Amino acid sequence: MALVETKQLDHIVSLLKEKRTGEVSLADMVALVEITAQSLQAFFQTIDASICRELKEIADYIGKLRREIGALQANDMRRARIPAAGQELDAIVKATESATHSIIECAEAVMAADASDPLRYKAFVDERMLVVFEACSFQDITGQRIAKVVETLKHIESRVARFAEATRVDDARGFASEKEAAESERKVRLLMHGPALAGEGNPQDVIDDLIAPAKPDASQADIDKLFR
Amino acid sequence: MTIDPSIPILIVDDYKTMIRIIRNLLKQIGFEDVDEAADGSEALAKLRQKKYSLIISDWNMEPMTGYELLKEVRSDMQLSKTPFIMVTAESKTENVIAAKKAGVNNYIVKPFNAQTLKSKIDSVFAE
Repeated sequence: MALVETKQLDHIVSLLKEKRTGEVSLADMVALVEITAQSLQAFFQTIDASICRELKEIADYIGKLRREIGALQANDMRRARIPAAGQELDAIVKATESATHSIIECAEAVMAADASDPLRYKAFVDERMLVVFEACSFQDITGQRIAKVVETLKHIESRVARFAEATRVDDARGFASEKEAAESERKVRLLMHGPALAGEGNPQDVIDDLIAPAKPDASQADIDKLFR
Repeated sequence: MTIDPSIPILIVDDYKTMIRIIRNLLKQIGFEDVDEAADGSEALAKLRQKKYSLIISDWNMEPMTGYELLKEVRSDMQLSKTPFIMVTAESKTENVIAAKKAGVNNYIVKPFNAQTLKSKIDSVFAE
């Protein structure tokens, strides 16, 4: 259907032609507006339908977004899961610290012990070694705690992945806050990468080569290496 | 070369256990005069109060890192000649190169053993 009906337009044109020479009365103006409104009725109806369709699409999207935000369970993450994971990590740090403290204490005691009486010394070392074994039991519990933290991370990962997939929103560039930006900039500027994973970083022998002063002249041994 | 075991050494690390480990290793090597600081700024304050013959420092510390401490030490007329060994988990090439450019004498990557620590100290005092 045409947006403006040509029949109505013809009416307007003929009316204007009629009134070209004479004066235009108020009644003529009303008639003109009426015809114009009639001729554009189809256009307005089309606009209404497309706006309705767009508004419905927006409403559907908002509804979907609301469902996805609900499915994200952000409050459950913020109030329960993330704090619980943080508590587990705190407990892991404390347990490893405590175990390390016990082990180092035993080692220091053994190193400082009087070894002049071998039997007494052996009994003392045996007793200290039992404490070391006991301290090492922390690994079983921390392993279980780490498994719980990993489970939480997987839960968050799956929720966030579903949300990102459903909303298909592009990530904003930059940082969420000035504090975050400043922290990141400082880490980059001061080369604070943290411990490297297996395969990343350099072993000690490579670092030794990097640190070694540059040799202005190659030694015979260096030259020999080139010919092997 | 024999190093005087009475030389004062400053260990800089924010992790108390690591300080304790290094202190014990140094004790095994024969060094007894060992002080400690928890970050670069605390270390700087101690370095300005007492003359140390060796600094053994971690990299990742707050608020002042070991890298910043190294640069501060090298730019201070009174401290610039103090031997500096970096002991850190930062093992990327750019870290080692940056530390070398800033004037580090040696670089040990964590975890390490007593033999590595001893050989690096020997190497620093042999320079």
